[in-house]
Amino acid sequence: MPIEVVLLFAWMLVIAFLAFIACTFEDLESDMGSQSNPNSQVQLAAQVGQINRFFNKAISGEPLSNAMYCVTAGTIAWILLMQLEPLVPGEEWKAAVLAIPIGVLGAVVINIIFSTTSHCGRTAAMKRFEQPIYLDVLYGHLMPIGAHAFMTTFCITCIAYIQSNIGTLSGNPALDHPFALPLLGFIWGITVGSIGSSTGDVHYGTEREFQDRPFGEGKRVVYHGKITRYASCGIRTQRDIAGFCAKFGGPCTGMTFGLIILFTNWTTLVGMQLGGFLPNLPAFTAIGDMAAIWTIVLGLLIVAALAVGHLIFVKWVRKKCGPFVGE
Amino acid sequence: MTVTPAVIEEEAPTKKGLSFKFPPEETEMGIIAGIIGAVIVIFTGLPAVIKGVGLILVLLWGMDSVRKTSKYGLGTGVPSIGVLSTGYGVVGALMGLAVAEYGRVGQLYPAVLLGVIVMGVIGLVSGVISNSEKFIAMKIPRLERGMMELGMAGTLAILLECSIVTGSLNFNAVVNQVMNTGIIALMFIFNCFAMLHPYNACLGPDERRERTRMCAVEISGLICILLGFAQLALGTSPYGPLDAVSMIVFGAIVFAVFFWKFIKACMDEAYETVGTGMIKTIE
Amino acid sequence: MEPVILLIVGYVVIGGLLACVAAHLLPVGGAPAAMGTATGIATGTVQIMLGAAMTGLFTAASVDTYTDSLLLVTLSGAVGATVMICVVMFMANIIYGFGAGVVPVSGRVDVDPITKEPQAPYKTPQCDGHGVPIVVFVSGSLGGFIGGFGGALMYYTLLNYAHFSAGTAAIGAISIFVANAILAAYNIRGTIEGFHDPKFKRLPYALVASFAVSLLCGIVVSLTAVLGGTL
Repeated sequence: MPIEVVLLFAWMLVIAFLAFIACTFEDLESDMGSQSNPNSQVQLAAQVGQINRFFNKAISGEPLSNAMYCVTAGTIAWILLMQLEPLVPGEEWKAAVLAIPIGVLGAVVINIIFSTTSHCGRTAAMKRFEQPIYLDVLYGHLMPIGAHAFMTTFCITCIAYIQSNIGTLSGNPALDHPFALPLLGFIWGITVGSIGSSTGDVHYGTEREFQDRPFGEGKRVVYHGKITRYASCGIRTQRDIAGFCAKFGGPCTGMTFGLIILFTNWTTLVGMQLGGFLPNLPAFTAIGDMAAIWTIVLGLLIVAALAVGHLIFVKWVRKKCGPFVGE
Repeated sequence: MTVTPAVIEEEAPTKKGLSFKFPPEETEMGIIAGIIGAVIVIFTGLPAVIKGVGLILVLLWGMDSVRKTSKYGLGTGVPSIGVLSTGYGVVGALMGLAVAEYGRVGQLYPAVLLGVIVMGVIGLVSGVISNSEKFIAMKIPRLERGMMELGMAGTLAILLECSIVTGSLNFNAVVNQVMNTGIIALMFIFNCFAMLHPYNACLGPDERRERTRMCAVEISGLICILLGFAQLALGTSPYGPLDAVSMIVFGAIVFAVFFWKFIKACMDEAYETVGTGMIKTIE
Repeated sequence: MEPVILLIVGYVVIGGLLACVAAHLLPVGGAPAAMGTATGIATGTVQIMLGAAMTGLFTAASVDTYTDSLLLVTLSGAVGATVMICVVMFMANIIYGFGAGVVPVSGRVDVDPITKEPQAPYKTPQCDGHGVPIVVFVSGSLGGFIGGFGGALMYYTLLNYAHFSAGTAAIGAISIFVANAILAAYNIRGTIEGFHDPKFKRLPYALVASFAVSLLCGIVVSLTAVLGGTL
């Protein structure tokens, strides 16, 4: 197998690994600041008289906010790359090593600004429920939120950089993705947020936020707003939650995004290989069509495998747990 | 997704010195921002800072429209309406840019407003259908007007941003320097946030319009900084790099002033601002 | 009137209608699903629809660089979105099962229409179902497929018929797609389980809205292509 093809597959695996890290930290970042869906309970808590010391980070839904961080990082990195790449001809990666972390730092600053405004704004708007602004909660959470967001945004920006240059990196410039770096950041930012909010929130919202309620049942409507406000020692803040979710919810979420990136890139590459498209790249011919057909067939096979796996899992878990017992 | 409270009555501004007293009323705000924004869009040769002022006004207008439509509870959270506005904005801006060359007088591009008007019509149509009893039946008062204003404000904002970054309203220049470089993604997402974040962040029964607007201005300042950097990197301004630098400085000042004001207002108006403390137990 | 303009408008309208149908098929639980109080994916309609469509768009854009067949590009977009949504539903169920001990159960029907398994005995009182049961999974996969197809169709149309550049085509397709998905979300109002949900009967209302908006957007886009000189 030619070295270009091996490199392509290697970069694809690097992307999948980065995706795993990115989404794990994305979920933990949203738990750390209580963002997205479970935040409705934090918001409701003060209204039902449960004054709490949670951080109320209501920056829209996760997809949009993550798209914002990734686009900011992508744009700053792209601006810097444009300035720095001519300085190191032939060794463009040196420019990326400097540009990406600086761009990500910019995105983290934006994240911290938005976190501050949303926490202060939401708490001030709950004046009549006597919820105070605790300054230690405000200051104490900004750094952890920023640190988690740094990891997410860094990985996503790296993915976007690799994908927009995957051809150059593996020796076949025609394979570069047609989208620019900020646009790829936007696409993966939306996707990572959408997965973090749909998969990762479950562990925080269903389990950790209502930990003093019975395990193994959906949280009933009467519990809503009555969140667990006390930690194993003292009063619970968001920092206790991230540690818990890092043990199951975060990695599961990371695996979801990692699998998605792996499958979508893997089917494309294997399709190219099976269709005979690599390494000569005869685009817009019957061979190109063949590669696309293989991609679709492989994708459908994966979908079928997931459907069967889901069927077996649901049947198994229903049999194991049995009908609802209790009141 | 977040929980939107039911209708809240307006509260008179209480704190003196902190209220942000520029156009006091929503309709006036819409008219002023619309006219000033349109004029600035037409006069493309203006320095970036003036376009930045127009951008702030237009985004304030959009934020006002988001606020008055989502006050009644949309069922899918505040963010959706801001995204809708920007989605319309991008389509309208493309249309405006395509017709900009027609009817051009020197450096004036009056035809670009066609995109704004078309998007107003599309917004009106979607508003009528969403509110109509026969179709989606959202039953939100003045949703038609709100969606129309959102379409127009979104389009004006995207046009102004394109004009800041490229220094012209030439379709090919915008495609090369904004669309193909991906800066459009930055505009898209920050437009969304300038419109939806202020109300989303200040949501609650004690939300106050003046305070919410400070947040909108603050985010607009951030956009000015980022667009200034983009302009500096592309080097497109007819006035040289000084234009971009002044844009960055202007954005930084606006951001710093209004961020400080907003946080100060929140801390003053919250029930209490304490260093630390135990929580009150009611049971 | 050139036939290609009709083609652009027609494909944009079809893409918009497909986006609207897809938004109704996806099992959206919203905020309650994150607490295990409602069935479906624990996020809003727009959010999950966007996530799926973006993955589809990425795959479609990759495939579009080496084939010019409309069917292959749109199908690969559809498959990309389906893979995304299937993995999300499967992993969400694993977290529900192992992380919170909640059994997947539908709240809107008493018997699963596909496997004929009873649902009511497994449900927690005062809840509207939880997790992603089998019928919901099927509906969600269909939704992902249709949504990805619609998004990729719009992208392909803008790229290869209107001759926009890749970036313009992507952001234009996203914008029109988003508008349709949001109108559908307003029609759904919160949560929906899929094709077996009583709320699914409201679909025609959203289709009217989506048709009107997509038609106007299609006309605007084709005018842009004609006047901007790309066509």
